[in-house]
Amino acid sequence: MQTLFLAMVSAYVLGAFVALPEGGGRGTLGRGLVALGAVVGAGAGSALGASVILSGAPFTLSVPELLPIAGGLALRLDSLGAFFLVLIGLGAIPAAIYGAGYSAAYEDGRASLRLLGVMLNLFLLTMSLVTLADNVLTFLLMWEGMSLTSYFLVITESGEEGTMRAGLWYAAMTHAGLALLLAAFVLLTAYPRGGPGAFADLRAGAASLSGTTRSVIFLLAFLGFGSKAGIVPLHVWLPRAHPAAPSHVSALMSGVMIKMGVYGILRVALDLLGGGPPWWGALVLGLGAASALLGILYALMANDLKRLLAYSSVENIGIVFIGVGAGLLFGARGLPTAAALAFVAALYHALNHTAFKGLLFMGAGSVLHATHTRDMNLMGGLIKRMPWTALFFLIGAVAIAGLPPLNGFVGEWLLFQSLLPGVSIPQPVVAALVTMAVGMLALTSGLAAAGFVKAYGITFLAIPRSEEAAQAHEASLSMRAGMGLLVIVCIALGLAPAAVVPLLGRVVAGLGGLPAVAPLFAVNLSLQMPHGFAEISPTLAALGLLIVPGLVPVGMFVLGANRRLRVGDTWGCGRVGQTPRMEYTATSFAEPLRRVFAELYRPTKELTVDFHPDSKYFVQAIEYRTDIRSWFEEFLYEPLLNATQWVSRRIRRLQSGSLHGYVAYLFIVLVLMLGALLWPGK
Amino acid sequence: MNDSLFSQLSTLGSSVVLLFGITLLWRRSLRAYTGAFQWQSAVLAAMFVIIGYFGHDPELYFVAVFFGILKVFILPRYLERMEKRFGGQRESQPYVNVATSLILAGLLVLLAYAITRPLVLVSALPTRGGLPLAMGLIFVGLFVVITRKKALTQIVGFLVMENGIALLAVLGTFGIPLIVELGVFLDVLMGFLVMQVFVYHIHGTFESIDVDQLNELKH
Repeated sequence: MQTLFLAMVSAYVLGAFVALPEGGGRGTLGRGLVALGAVVGAGAGSALGASVILSGAPFTLSVPELLPIAGGLALRLDSLGAFFLVLIGLGAIPAAIYGAGYSAAYEDGRASLRLLGVMLNLFLLTMSLVTLADNVLTFLLMWEGMSLTSYFLVITESGEEGTMRAGLWYAAMTHAGLALLLAAFVLLTAYPRGGPGAFADLRAGAASLSGTTRSVIFLLAFLGFGSKAGIVPLHVWLPRAHPAAPSHVSALMSGVMIKMGVYGILRVALDLLGGGPPWWGALVLGLGAASALLGILYALMANDLKRLLAYSSVENIGIVFIGVGAGLLFGARGLPTAAALAFVAALYHALNHTAFKGLLFMGAGSVLHATHTRDMNLMGGLIKRMPWTALFFLIGAVAIAGLPPLNGFVGEWLLFQSLLPGVSIPQPVVAALVTMAVGMLALTSGLAAAGFVKAYGITFLAIPRSEEAAQAHEASLSMRAGMGLLVIVCIALGLAPAAVVPLLGRVVAGLGGLPAVAPLFAVNLSLQMPHGFAEISPTLAALGLLIVPGLVPVGMFVLGANRRLRVGDTWGCGRVGQTPRMEYTATSFAEPLRRVFAELYRPTKELTVDFHPDSKYFVQAIEYRTDIRSWFEEFLYEPLLNATQWVSRRIRRLQSGSLHGYVAYLFIVLVLMLGALLWPGK
Repeated sequence: MNDSLFSQLSTLGSSVVLLFGITLLWRRSLRAYTGAFQWQSAVLAAMFVIIGYFGHDPELYFVAVFFGILKVFILPRYLERMEKRFGGQRESQPYVNVATSLILAGLLVLLAYAITRPLVLVSALPTRGGLPLAMGLIFVGLFVVITRKKALTQIVGFLVMENGIALLAVLGTFGIPLIVELGVFLDVLMGFLVMQVFVYHIHGTFESIDVDQLNELKH
């Protein structure tokens, strides 16, 4: 294991180093070496994680002399960390391969390939070490390293309009989160004993904390990790930063990094604090359900392909948090088996999301690469020009929409199965909450399907809406290879959950007193829920799905149906002239939903019609504009930003620019401090 | 007998040093400032000798000599040269007028007495009577820096404050190690030279050595 660990660290470090010199990371060789470092590092990391999960023995490495304060660097990989390390590898290997081809577009000097290469490897390294951290110092150091390097990755295309602003939003949110985490860890460490903050000590000491302190720690940690994960209402940076970042970085951030928020909350709430009162779980469950629903509702309205995917990440992280919340809730209600199942479902969905969201972001990146736009209203017809990308994107879209036989279906099925027992908890509030969550999850899945019909249909089908879309070209080999890998993962996770789920059972076993659920699952072709509630075999379902539609053409062939190939316009509707202006647009596709959820969106419409001056029967131009209301910006962030600016402006008055003024401050403070010595009672 | 003489001498010397500091507040010509500083430094050098004699510390004689050379001869010489160059500029409009300045200086000295009271009460040093005066001098020096506009006045204010610190140090400790003293002297000299360069630049940029013109550099 030590070898694998050293291989991981040195591969990432070498990958960063080859990009470091002047002109590094450029050319086929440079980009290839950067990608090689990341692939080898991620591969070794995954292997390390897998070996820890399979053997059940944690990997420990302590280097106190490397950083002789607060316990130094302490690394320990238990099964929970190992799962997330595998997840990182799963997302990072395809992203790195894809990135080698994708970043070729930066050879023209639009962005620094040097910075991109260095930061990509350092980002993966620090993120991997987050999962290994075994004391507070190491954890926070690596966490901050991950945040900083990802900030630089977001602003790779710093010349583009809006990128720096997106970076600022991301930096502000992630550092607000870090401040909360610092507070949480200070409370956890300093009280009641103090000490270097080794996780083992914290785990042992957590029981002696008062209930209020534990709850405050939980709330701080939940909000801090939530800002990284992107739960509502802390999600505002995702739809800004993900579209601005290079696509393989978006895939990494959305597919992998936001999962670190999930890891953090599991580590603190479940492992270090060992679970808490039921309202912790209820809060996580409620915010998770809200994130899922609001995320997909906003995704439906997005016309920017990557923005749509970013909102969909909010939805999916919400689904993961539904599972985490349900797990915490069931654990607190004394249903450890149900709790373990819910955690397994959450982890499974997290793994799935890494696969299909990475795939979709890469697909969107290929489209962006080919058409130079992210606006879906300027795309269309790409299926003929980029067949491979279209196929891969379709598989990703089907997976994320939760259709069998792909992995999204299995994850959501597991989550439903683990939530349903909660309905029978003999406490009306809990039962109602779980029922509501089930309902919201079902609605979310349906809306997600609609959203990805939109994403796929508008982007790839019909006829091109712009010259760029008509001139689009297929993605390069390495980009297709990166996407292809994730397609395999999506299919594998969809067909063989029976092999994966027991391993996830091992991951959560023992955390916060959870039982080992691995033996409860029957490991065969079908996946059986432990309490005999349900049973499913995705493999057989997939076979069925292949066979039934497969029989139709065969049958038709046998029956001698008309086999002449006909070529016609897409969505032609019998019209003689067919132009792109007759097609559905991204906006018009979402119009029914805009009406149904008008209460939430409060769409503003602006219709300007220019008539011919002589007769109003001749219309010269019609301009239609619509926008939706962003509640969180309007009611949460704007007041907050205004208040901050108000305070800052007042503080700024201190900066008078007058030399006398500055010396006077010194003098006044000196006199006041000396005067304070005269205060009676000292 | 000896101790009482020592104590009276040190209090007297400190008072004179403080008085020269307060002189800055009512004089307006830059030449008068240089003179006041020169005399103050001379008295201070004498204080070193007195304390060296009564405190049986011959090292202080060396300090007195260095101090005298630096602050009675070198720095006033530079100050005069700058003064000539800027042609008899006067501190015509200070931020705080003379009468108010004097009242505030009195209050600052009172504050210094109040602050050092606990120290003076427990101290057995024969020089303890001078401690509040030295503290007062530090305040007055800073006060000059804050309320006077000409860069040259501010330099003198800074040097006076520096004198206050030296006085406090020698009264409170009977001489810090020679090497530290030398370091402090070098610091003062370097600080002074840097400030001199700045004054020339300010004059070159604004045709004036009024520091409040620097406000224009904001934004």
